[in-house]
Amino acid sequence: MPQLDFSVFPSQLFWLVICFFTMLFIMSRFIIPKTAEMINLRRAKIDDDLEQADEIKKHVEETLEKYKKSLAEATAKANVSLQKTRDELNETVARKQEEISLKMKSEMEENEKKIDDAKDRAMKKVEEAAADLAVDVLEKLGFSGIKPNDARNALDLVKREQL
Amino acid sequence: MSSPLEQFVIKPIIPIEVAGIDISFTNSSLFMVLAVVVSTLVMALCLRKRTMVPGMLQSIPESLYEFINNLLRENVGVEGLKYFPFIFTVFVFIAFGNLLGLFPYAFTFTSHLTAVGSLSLVALLFNIAVGIKNKKLGWLRTFLPRGIPLALAPLIVPIEMISFLSKPFSLTVRLVANMTVGHIMLKIIAGFVVSLGILGIIPLLFNGAIVCFEIFISLLQAFIYTVLSCIYLGEALHEH
Repeated sequence: MPQLDFSVFPSQLFWLVICFFTMLFIMSRFIIPKTAEMINLRRAKIDDDLEQADEIKKHVEETLEKYKKSLAEATAKANVSLQKTRDELNETVARKQEEISLKMKSEMEENEKKIDDAKDRAMKKVEEAAADLAVDVLEKLGFSGIKPNDARNALDLVKREQL
Repeated sequence: MSSPLEQFVIKPIIPIEVAGIDISFTNSSLFMVLAVVVSTLVMALCLRKRTMVPGMLQSIPESLYEFINNLLRENVGVEGLKYFPFIFTVFVFIAFGNLLGLFPYAFTFTSHLTAVGSLSLVALLFNIAVGIKNKKLGWLRTFLPRGIPLALAPLIVPIEMISFLSKPFSLTVRLVANMTVGHIMLKIIAGFVVSLGILGIIPLLFNGAIVCFEIFISLLQAFIYTVLSCIYLGEALHEH
């Protein structure tokens, strides 16, 4: 079996040592550093990216927090403003209502007064007409010389008695 | 039909003799040189265009780097990372030696006891150097672990020495046996392809499957050799 031929051992050992150490030199000087360089660069880049992503996340969270805070502040401000406007509006409405009701009341009073006046005037005319009618009736019955004022007084008397 | 063992015969290409020692450049030496050249070229080709997002080629050396890195971390620890180039080279050298041997008419130097034995010897000397560098004289404790009574030393020390020296031997035999068997099987079945005529298609297909299997075995054996080297390195670095 050629494997058991130990006469070639010196030659095998010699060339193996040369080849192995040449390879060790090439690998450790060129191949391994080149490979490691890229792996380390990538690792550094990934770490860097992760760090950056973390920072961005933190920034986003901060911004979101700020946004929520501003939103809450704005809502509170808007609510205050809304309440203020509502109060002002209610006040204005109440004031206007009062003004209108006062105006209406005075107008009503004025109108009632006018109606009363008209009524008085009408009643006076009715009484005058009734007195004239009474004078005319009495004249027709043969009672002359009766003045309208007397007739009016007599009618007043009757009216008071009726009341 | 030629012997299936003929493929393992070492033939000198350039006879060299120094001080009576034959160090001829043989077909085995040629494939060792080829393993160095091809692995360097493949790696260089893979790393030609390096990008932040690795392509298919670039991920080959990178995966290998991560793989050996993890292997060292798991079996030796972080302090073992300074020996990364050595372990990396062991893996690449064996893997390429195994894979190159799968080509027709190629020579598999990893199927030779003397070649792999030389590598194991280099690894053993490396482990001893690392052990002595880290533990100084305490490295000798390898042969007499703590807690063992001194009276047992005459028994324990030879046992531990045998155990220590058998590690490179077992590493060598495992790899050599796997490679030899695989190649003998390929050769025998390939012989049937010709002798069976038209029916030779069956062993041919079978051989195809075996080549795929051998590719897997080549990488697996390189992996096993590397893992065990890592474990032995870990033992050289740490307490027993």
